[in-house]
Amino acid sequence: MKEITLTIDGQPVSVASGASVLDAAKALGIEVPSICSHPDLPAYGACRMCVVEIESVRGFPTACTTPAADGMVVRTESETLRRLRENTLELMMSGHPNACLVCDYRAVCEKHKPTPSKAGTSTRCGLCGNRSECDLRELVLSSPGRNLGLPTIYSRKKVERDDPFIERDHNLCILCGLCWRICDKIHGQPAISIVRRGKEARIAASFDRSWVDSGCTFCGACVDICPTGTISDRFAKWHGHPENKILSTCMLCPEGCAFHEMTENNRVVATRMTGFKPENRLCALGRFAYPQLLQDRHRLDRPLLRESGELVPVSQEEAMEALAAALDGFRDGSFLLLGNDTELRETKHLYRSLAGDVLHGKALFMAAGSGAEDLPEELADAIESGAIRAVLSAGNFLPTGLREHLDFLAVIDAFPSTLSASADVVLPASILAETTGTFRDAAGDVKGVGPALPAPEQARPEWHWVRDLAQRLGAEDWCRFRYAPEVTRTIGDDPAPAPLRTRPRDSVKDSLPTRFRGHFLADRVPALRAFGLPSTPAEETGADKRGFPIRRKEEIAPNFHSFLVEAPEIARYARPGQFIMLMASETSERVPFTLTDWDPEAGTILFIIEETGRSSRELCALRAGDRIAHVSGPLGAPLDLSGAGTIALAGGCYGIGAIYPFAKALHRAGKRVFVVLEASSHFLMYFEDELREFCEEIFFTTRDGSMGRKGAVHDVLVELLQSGDKRPDAMAAIGCTLMMQMATEATRPWSDVPLHVALNPIMIDGTGMCGACRVSVGGQTNFACVDGPFFNGHEVDWAELASRRGAFVQVEVEAMPQNGTLAAHPCRH
Amino acid sequence: MIEAPTANPTERIHDVCRRFGPDRENLIPALQEVQESEGFLSPEAVDVIAGYFSLSANNVYGVATFYAQFRYHPPGRHCLKICQGTACHVQGSGVLLDAAERSLGIRSGETTEDGDFGLEELACLGSCALAPAVVLDGVVHARQTPKKLNALLEKARS
Repeated sequence: MKEITLTIDGQPVSVASGASVLDAAKALGIEVPSICSHPDLPAYGACRMCVVEIESVRGFPTACTTPAADGMVVRTESETLRRLRENTLELMMSGHPNACLVCDYRAVCEKHKPTPSKAGTSTRCGLCGNRSECDLRELVLSSPGRNLGLPTIYSRKKVERDDPFIERDHNLCILCGLCWRICDKIHGQPAISIVRRGKEARIAASFDRSWVDSGCTFCGACVDICPTGTISDRFAKWHGHPENKILSTCMLCPEGCAFHEMTENNRVVATRMTGFKPENRLCALGRFAYPQLLQDRHRLDRPLLRESGELVPVSQEEAMEALAAALDGFRDGSFLLLGNDTELRETKHLYRSLAGDVLHGKALFMAAGSGAEDLPEELADAIESGAIRAVLSAGNFLPTGLREHLDFLAVIDAFPSTLSASADVVLPASILAETTGTFRDAAGDVKGVGPALPAPEQARPEWHWVRDLAQRLGAEDWCRFRYAPEVTRTIGDDPAPAPLRTRPRDSVKDSLPTRFRGHFLADRVPALRAFGLPSTPAEETGADKRGFPIRRKEEIAPNFHSFLVEAPEIARYARPGQFIMLMASETSERVPFTLTDWDPEAGTILFIIEETGRSSRELCALRAGDRIAHVSGPLGAPLDLSGAGTIALAGGCYGIGAIYPFAKALHRAGKRVFVVLEASSHFLMYFEDELREFCEEIFFTTRDGSMGRKGAVHDVLVELLQSGDKRPDAMAAIGCTLMMQMATEATRPWSDVPLHVALNPIMIDGTGMCGACRVSVGGQTNFACVDGPFFNGHEVDWAELASRRGAFVQVEVEAMPQNGTLAAHPCRH
Repeated sequence: MIEAPTANPTERIHDVCRRFGPDRENLIPALQEVQESEGFLSPEAVDVIAGYFSLSANNVYGVATFYAQFRYHPPGRHCLKICQGTACHVQGSGVLLDAAERSLGIRSGETTEDGDFGLEELACLGSCALAPAVVLDGVVHARQTPKKLNALLEKARS
C-alpha cells in the first residue's frame, strides 16, 4: 500500500493511503479533540471538534473526514482553532444540562457526593449516571475557558423509560450519531435513526415505536458507545465506571458467547460485548440478565435440611453427611440426576460420574430454556412406578406432582422454587460468573469461564458439592479435584449441549430462552416480560382501597413532583417545619418529606418530592387518583421563628418548597421575610410566585448564573448579614446537606444570628425509636426526627452527618427498580 | 401513464417502488411517489419501502422526517394550510395556527379523527401583501383572524 507523508504541527509523519488527518495526528500522539469519531466506525464529521488548519486549503476542515495527502502541512493548534472549538463546545453545551460544569463549587460538591444522585432525569452531572465516563464532560473540563456565553436551553423532553433495560434521556443528546451508526454497523439494519430535524431531531425508531418493536435486539452497543448518558443501562448506570472487566463466556444458552463481565466491588454490574463487530453481538439476555440473576434478592445461600418436617439451615458438614447417608441407599439404579445442560463441563462431568460410576443411576441434562414439564415421559413414568426413588435436581426440573412418588429429593440450585421447598436437602449453588472452568458450546468449541467472583454466603460451585459428596460415598480419589483444571483434564470428549432452535442474537421476539435452571428468567429479571417471556403469575394483590388518595400531582420542575394528598388529620395539626413519613405501597421503605402547605378545611396536605432514588421514584411513579399506602405525621418539632423580627429563609432543591410554610406564617404575622432560592439552573426553579407573595424581597441564585446571581444561597445570606437594613436576626436553610453546610460555614462569623438547618439523616420510623437519625449537635447526641429536624447549623457535626448518610450507597444503587416506569406497581389499578 | 390501482395497499406500494431501481439514491423519489399515490406515508408503507430498498424502517423514517414534504397522517377531506412566512408571522400567523389547532383539536401535520380536516403550515405563500394568509382547499384567504378562520372552517364543514 502506498505511504503518504505529511507534516502535522511541524512533525513529519507517514501513514498508509486512505488514512485521515485525524489518524495521522493520532499516529504522532497528537490529541485532537473529538466526540463523534470512533475507531470502529467510518468518519462522520458531526461534532466539528477536530477542525484543523491545512496550508492552501480554505476554511477549517474536520480532521476525521479529510484524507491525509502527500505534502500536506497541518496545524492542530492555533488561537483561531481554539476559539472555533470553544464556540462549538459552547453550542453543544447550551443544549445539554451543564450547571455542574460551570459551578464554582463543583470540586467541593463532588468530594461531598462522590457518586451522582439517582435522579429520574439528569438535569446536571450531579444527577447523571454517566458522570464518570462522559466524553462531553471530559472535553469541557479539559477545555481552557469554560464560561458559557449562551443561555442553557433545556428542552424538557420526557425521559423514555418504557423499554426494558435501556433508558433514554434526549435532553442530554448531542446528536453525534454514534449510536445508530454502531447499530447499523453491527446489525446492518439499524433499529434506530435520527428522525426529524433541527431542534426536533432525535434518536428514535420509526414512528417513535418502542424499541421492543423496532427490530432492536438489545445488544447494548448503543449504550456502550453513547458519549453523553443519553442512552443508558438502567441497572448499571448508577454504579459508575466499572472497576474491572473479566473476559468470560455467557452460560445462559448453548451459544456460549464471549463477553466482558464488568465488575464493581467484585460483583457483576453489567456484561458487555467484547468489541463493536457483528461477531461480538450479544443477545438481550447476555447483555442485560447477568447482574440481576447474580444479585437476585432471593438467592439460596445456605444449606437446608429437613428436620421434623421443616427445612432448617444447617452447616455444610451436616448437609453433606445427611445427603450422603440418604443417597447411599439408592445405589440400585433408582437414582436420577437432573442437571442443567449449559453448565460448566467440570460440573456436568462430575455429575455424570456421580450418577453413573458412584451411584449406578442415570443422569439427564435438561436443555437450555427447558423446565419441569419438559422431563421426558419415560422418566416421569419411572418415578411414578417407583423405579426411580431418589432425585438430585440441579435446578427446578421436576414437576411437583412427582415429588410424592419419591423417597428422597435433593436440590442444588441458586433460586428457591416449590420444588426446593419440598426437598429433603437443599444446597446453595454458585452460578454463572461465580464459577470458573470450561464451557462447551453447541458448536462443540470449548471456551473459558471465569475467574470466579464471590458467591453469596455459603453458595459453592456445584462440582465442589458433588466432589465432597462422592468422597463421602466412597469415591475417595475424588479428593484430587482441588481446582477446576484438575477436573478438566479428566473430561476427555464430552458431548456438546443441545443447540437452540432459535437465534437470540437476531431478535428479542420468540427467540430468547425463557428459563434458566428451570426457573422463568422473567421472574428474576422482570424487564424480560416486555419481550413476551413468561413468568409465574403474580399473586393477586386485590384492589386496595385503603391509603391516602392523591388529589393532584404534577412535575413542577424536572425531578420535582408536587403532591396534593387527602390527609385531614395531618392538615389539622401541622405546623411549619414539620414533616411526614410516606410509604408508597405496603412493602415500600418509609421515607420522610417536609410539609410544604396544608389546608385544614379541605383536609389536604401539599408536599414536594425530589426523585432521587428508589423510594422517591416509587412515589413519583404514582399518579393523581392513586393512593399512597401510608402517610404518617405531622412529625418532628415545629420551628417557631416568630421571636425574630427579620428572617432570612434559604431554600435549595426540595428545600424551596420546604421554606414556604415559614414564609407564609411569618409574613402573615407581620415579620420582615427575605427569601433566598438556589437551583443549579433556571429551569429547576419553582414556587417563585407562591413565595414572592409572602416575602419582602426574593433573591435567586443559580450555579450557572442563568437566573439571578451566579453562586449559592450563602452568598446572599452573607450580603444580608453585612447589610444595615436587611440584617436578619434569624435564618433558616433547607436543602441538601452540602448547601446547608456551606451556608453554615459562610455565616460562622455571625454565629450570634442562629441559622436553623433541617437535617436529613437516614430515618426509619420518624418517632424516636430506631436511632438511625442520630446526629451530633453541640457535642450532644440528638435524634433528628423528634429533637429536630431543625438544629442550629453552627453546632452541627457535618462530617459525621455526611458519613452516616453515605452508609448504604451501594445497597441504594442495587435497590433501584428495574421495571422502568413501575407499571407493575401494586398500587396501580 | 397511470396504472390501474390495485386493491391491496401493500401491492400498490410495492408496484410504485418497482418503478425505481432498489438503490438507495432512489429512496426519496420512491417516498414521493408513494405519498403521491397513497396521500401519506403510513407505517405499513414505510415497512414496504424499507423492504424494497433493503433498509430498516428506522432508516427510511429517519430520511423521510428530515424533509418537511412528507406526511404521516392521511390527508383530510379539506386541507387547511397556514402560512408561517415572515410577513404572515409578524401579522400574527402564530395565533392563527394556535386557533386552528384548538378549533380542530389536532396539531399541525395531523388530520382530525373524522377525517374532515388536515392541518399544515407552510413557509411562504408569496402572498405577503395578504398577510396573514391561509389556503383552504387550494383557495387563498387573505388577512385572516381567528374569528374569520373559524367561520371559514364552519362553512367548509357544512
